[in-house]
Amino acid sequence: MIEVGHLSKSFVSGRGRRQQRIAAVSDVSFTAPDGQITALLGPNGAGKTTTLRILATLMRADGGTARVGGLDVQAQPLAVRASLGVLSDARGLYGRLTARENVAYYACLRGLADATWQARLAEMARLLDMDSLLDRPTAGFSTGERMKVALARALIHDPAHLILDEPTNGLDVLSTRALRALLRHLRERGKCIVFSSHIMQEVDALADTLVIVAHGRTVASGTPQAIAAGGALEDAFVRLAFGEAA
Amino acid sequence: MKVALTVYLKELADALRDRRTWMVVLISSIVAGPVSLLLLASFVSDIEASAAKREVLVAGGQHAPQLANFLARAGARVSEAPADFRERQRDGRLQQAVIVVPEDFERRLARGEDARLQLVFDDSGTKAQASSRAAAGLLRAWQRELASQGLMARGVSPQLLTRFSVEEVNLAPSRSRGAQLLFLVPWLAMLGSVVGAISVAIDVTAGERERGSLEPLLMNPVPAWAVVLGKWGVVATSAIAVVLLTLAGFALAMQFVRSETLAALMQFGPRELAVFLAVLLPFAGFMAALLMLAAAYGRSYKEAQTYASYITMLVNFLPILPLFLSLRDAPWQLAVPALGQQMVLARVLRGEAVGWPELMAPGALALAGTLVCLALLARLLRAERIVFAR
Repeated sequence: MIEVGHLSKSFVSGRGRRQQRIAAVSDVSFTAPDGQITALLGPNGAGKTTTLRILATLMRADGGTARVGGLDVQAQPLAVRASLGVLSDARGLYGRLTARENVAYYACLRGLADATWQARLAEMARLLDMDSLLDRPTAGFSTGERMKVALARALIHDPAHLILDEPTNGLDVLSTRALRALLRHLRERGKCIVFSSHIMQEVDALADTLVIVAHGRTVASGTPQAIAAGGALEDAFVRLAFGEAA
Repeated sequence: MKVALTVYLKELADALRDRRTWMVVLISSIVAGPVSLLLLASFVSDIEASAAKREVLVAGGQHAPQLANFLARAGARVSEAPADFRERQRDGRLQQAVIVVPEDFERRLARGEDARLQLVFDDSGTKAQASSRAAAGLLRAWQRELASQGLMARGVSPQLLTRFSVEEVNLAPSRSRGAQLLFLVPWLAMLGSVVGAISVAIDVTAGERERGSLEPLLMNPVPAWAVVLGKWGVVATSAIAVVLLTLAGFALAMQFVRSETLAALMQFGPRELAVFLAVLLPFAGFMAALLMLAAAYGRSYKEAQTYASYITMLVNFLPILPLFLSLRDAPWQLAVPALGQQMVLARVLRGEAVGWPELMAPGALALAGTLVCLALLARLLRAERIVFAR
């Protein structure tokens, strides 16, 4: 379970007299239960990535609360990271290492036994159809291949919670389908999954719960059907995120 | 500690697969070290050898048997100059001065007429300067001899010619003559530590961020200090490897050169090597930490290179400072990184006694500097502006 309550975060931009504070997140709240996929939907710059970074303990919130599995992200960052798998916006693979070595590095950092992580990697390689990639250096990988390796790396410790920032960015249709299949598989195993997106179809195809974020605030949440209220989801989203004028 | 080891092993594998790492190691250790030493050694021994041999080239020696006789008595070896010596001197093939004797020299000398010798040289080469000075000295000595013989034949004391004499007393210890050489060896070894550290230091900090791999890395449940420690280990390993290769190159070159001149100029045996290691290894560790800290502020690889180059410049420049300012060795210099190391190592090469305080002070300061840099880095890795480059 991931719980976010009235989260706020602002950044300082510029220097000296031109310095100003820009609020990235001003009031975001949502609850993502276990065994469900929760989508943060919002336009670019709505505060989705910042919210996810706070959850991943990489940023400190200015106000509000964020809990992962009942643990406060600011009070117990190491314990939160241990129960969390994150696919960040930057996939961040080491080009001179093979896919297997990339995964092995994180497995070792998390103190996993060799047999444990190798078995998990074999299973994920089957689910994501990436057996042929494992022993190649990742330098020349395509966007889809990089996503698969980064995802396998994020899941190597079998975390109870999974956070994905724009996971389908730049993916072709086959990679997108592989990703969706894996996320549904993980949902059936009772994982708590949160992902951010600005693509309507993506959200419609995957999410059990939808949280619409705009201008740093939660403007609506509920099932996609409830939010669409009988109409098209896209119309509802545009009305909620950009106001009636749009 | 296990985390630091994991980071170390991964970064080591990563660095070893980077062609840049190998280029740096090869170029710095093979080119900078032994080659420059060999060049200098041959330069020094050539000068000394030609001066010691006092080989004098004479053109038309058969016209001046008296001169040949004097030169032989003075211990010089007289050889006939090649016919085209002027050309050879001009294009640098012949570095020695040549004494040219005109056909009627001996006759004019006997008659007391204006007798002339020519000393032909091209002093654009350093060796030619030494040779022409030596030849001129010999000719002056002969001049004095002839003059005093003439005075004595007329019953006048030759003492009148030299009312006082000058005795040269050089107070500099004999080994100080190789000042440039003494300067070069520690300086190159210190540069080696910077050169060895720089590309790896940037790769594990700014490079990690530019690849976007810093963010995922920090989401592992590991303390920042362990990550920093592991990364520093690899940078220090690379720096130390280049220092060791450079020193090994010097030691090897010393074996090959076997020049007495060089041996007289500086000492570089097992004891000196041990002191070099004791001084340079902490310095290499410090440079690794300092370069990482500077590179961590860079938003990109390129920006990090700029910051790191400031440090390279300081290490280049600080040891030269005393040469330009004619500073004498002073205790405060021990407290300045690079300068302190340079001072201690140059003294060791000169064969001077170096006490424990001088040996320990630069090392202790380097260690303290390393710890401060690593602590700052661990803090930086938790700072949002560094992780997300704001």
